[in-house]
Amino acid sequence: MRGAWLVFKKEFLELSKDRKTLFFTFAMPLILFPLLFTMMSKLGRNDAAQRKNKPSRIFLVDQGRVLEPALRADPKSFQLVPRPETELNQAIRDQKLEMALEIEETAAAKLVRQETFTLTATYDRSDDSSKLALERLRDLIKKQDVAWVQARLQTLGAPPQLAVPSRLESRNASSMALFIAKIMGSFLPYILIIMMYAGSMQHGIYTTAGEKERGTLLSLLSTRMPRNQIIWGKLLYIFAIGLLATLMNLLSMAVSMAHLFSTEAASAGTKAAQAAMESGGIGNLSAVASPATLGLSFLLMIPLGLFFSNFILLGGIQAKNTVEAGTALTPGIFVVVVLGVFSMAPGLEKMTLLPYVPIVNVSLAIRKLFSQQASAVEYLIALGMTVGLAGAMTWLSTRILNRESAIFKV
Amino acid sequence: MIQLVEVHKGFTVKDKKTRKKKRIEAVRGISLTVKPGEIYGLLGPNGAGKSTTLRMIAGLMHPEQGRIEVCGAGTATEPEKARGAVGYLSTDLNVYNRFTPREFLRIFGEFQGVDPAVAERRGLHLLEKLELSDFVDVKMEGFSSGQRQKVSIARALLHDPRVIVFDEPTTGLDVLTAKTVLDLLSLMRTEGRTVIVSTHVLPMVERICDRVGIIFDGILHGDAPPREILQRWNVPALDEVFFALAAKGGA
Ligand SMILES: Nc1ncnc2c1ncn2[C@@H]1O[C@H](COP(=O)(O)OP(=O)(O)OP(=O)(O)O)[C@@H](O)[C@H]1O
Ligand SMILES: [Mg+2]
Repeated sequence: MRGAWLVFKKEFLELSKDRKTLFFTFAMPLILFPLLFTMMSKLGRNDAAQRKNKPSRIFLVDQGRVLEPALRADPKSFQLVPRPETELNQAIRDQKLEMALEIEETAAAKLVRQETFTLTATYDRSDDSSKLALERLRDLIKKQDVAWVQARLQTLGAPPQLAVPSRLESRNASSMALFIAKIMGSFLPYILIIMMYAGSMQHGIYTTAGEKERGTLLSLLSTRMPRNQIIWGKLLYIFAIGLLATLMNLLSMAVSMAHLFSTEAASAGTKAAQAAMESGGIGNLSAVASPATLGLSFLLMIPLGLFFSNFILLGGIQAKNTVEAGTALTPGIFVVVVLGVFSMAPGLEKMTLLPYVPIVNVSLAIRKLFSQQASAVEYLIALGMTVGLAGAMTWLSTRILNRESAIFKV
Repeated sequence: MIQLVEVHKGFTVKDKKTRKKKRIEAVRGISLTVKPGEIYGLLGPNGAGKSTTLRMIAGLMHPEQGRIEVCGAGTATEPEKARGAVGYLSTDLNVYNRFTPREFLRIFGEFQGVDPAVAERRGLHLLEKLELSDFVDVKMEGFSSGQRQKVSIARALLHDPRVIVFDEPTTGLDVLTAKTVLDLLSLMRTEGRTVIVSTHVLPMVERICDRVGIIFDGILHGDAPPREILQRWNVPALDEVFFALAAKGGA
């Protein structure tokens, strides 16, 4: 194993000499995710806040002046506008105003007669600010209704509480951050798998086909080191890079998630958000997936990572140059992505052969772990198959390196 | 000690025009022995099979027939031991550009099972002889081909190999350094090492080689001390032998 360790060390030393590559491999994800997350939450918050701060523009037809005083009394939520010049529906769709509200001509009279009158609100369901206008109107009418009923009760001599049999107090237990965490939780395995492959591919090509191209592989092979040790060293390097890249991404994700929770708690100040802050970002992740689920998933990721690094090694060592290796290995990314999407498709659990299809069974097993349907047998099959395939590929790579056609262009 | 017994090596290449596969017999039954304390010179025109022969001795190519032994270790039966005994130099073998010569030599010392400090000391001593001391801590990215060749020479020798296999060692070197390399090879001989070199520089062969083998089309046309060859062909210089052989091949 000494030779493999030496080759492994040499690869890392070589990488460490290239500051830029090092930066893009490891520091980039550390910066990327916090940036992405803060931007996402800022954008989301700004948009919502802007809508909340603006009054809804309403064109009101209310001859009996039944609702007009109440609307005018709340200028923060409502702004009455004159009839638009264009057609009414078109004007709403064009966002010239949020809603048109028409109240029955006889509304005032009906109110006095203790009858029911009708209000017709026209709004654009596809537009968030228009929906907000409707929501605000509903709240207003609810309050107004209570006032009217209470007035009617008073004329009957009954207590005004009759109008309010119950009061609902709702608290928001969730938060934007928790929502993101949930989504992330379901995507996590795929993100990690893709990161693992994409992160180590270029490095794998550099140390295999790249060494051939630069003529350094011959120097390496002319030493007394056994060929299989060279293969093992390179394999270890590709695997370690993939793992490190994945860990960096994971770390960055966790940190930015925790940050998101704490800022939201600070700004919202609600009980739920405070709870979120107390338990921290990682704690909330565990609400999405238990530590056992995460642990078992990662246990599967390791042979999968070995499989990938073997695949990259094989693709790199059989290629004559880096371009050839790159062309052979890049489609692998799409295969990995498709695999992820494929195993998220509904109804897959019912396909009986799927647990026996290599690699697909890994993403299937992870998915079942997350949905709490895991089967020990299927898990072990996936684990064993992946390890076996990885081993077979290591053997094949060594065979190829032992053939001189792999080193000399024939 | 190097021993080749009836070694054959051919390649299959494709002719792009006729779209037919074609066999190239690069080495056809070469047998030769180089003893410790001897410098063997391999001569021959382009494509004669010199590099192929040396690559097989270095364990980078495998003979199709016959066998090769280096210090008693068969290149097929004990490849690691055989490779470990050889210091191989060829322009095909490049250096790691991202390293400085010092780092490069330390790493290759480790690869060859030499203590890195010892490897570094030996390598630096060699680089001093080759006049590259000023560059030992400079990244090799900007090195000229001659500077790279110098580092490669140090790389080939730093594990104190018993057998030295140099394929055109003076390519790209200035006359002063070329002379240094020849002196180095002579020194290796006095230290009792086995040396085989290929070259196109005939005066060099006459000066340092104890024995010369001439390869034409993969066949070794006898080997003998340079003076004996000259006598046998009755010519004043080695290049005349080439002309004579070429004329015979054409006839
Ligand atoms: N990897 C290879 N694939 C195909 N043919 C090869 C290969 N290596 C060598 N040959 C062929 O074998 C023959 C001998 O080549 P070799 O490199 O041994 O010649 P050489 O004597 O070193 O020539 P030179 O003086 O030009 O270096 C040539 O015809 C060459 O085309
Ligand atoms: Mg040659």
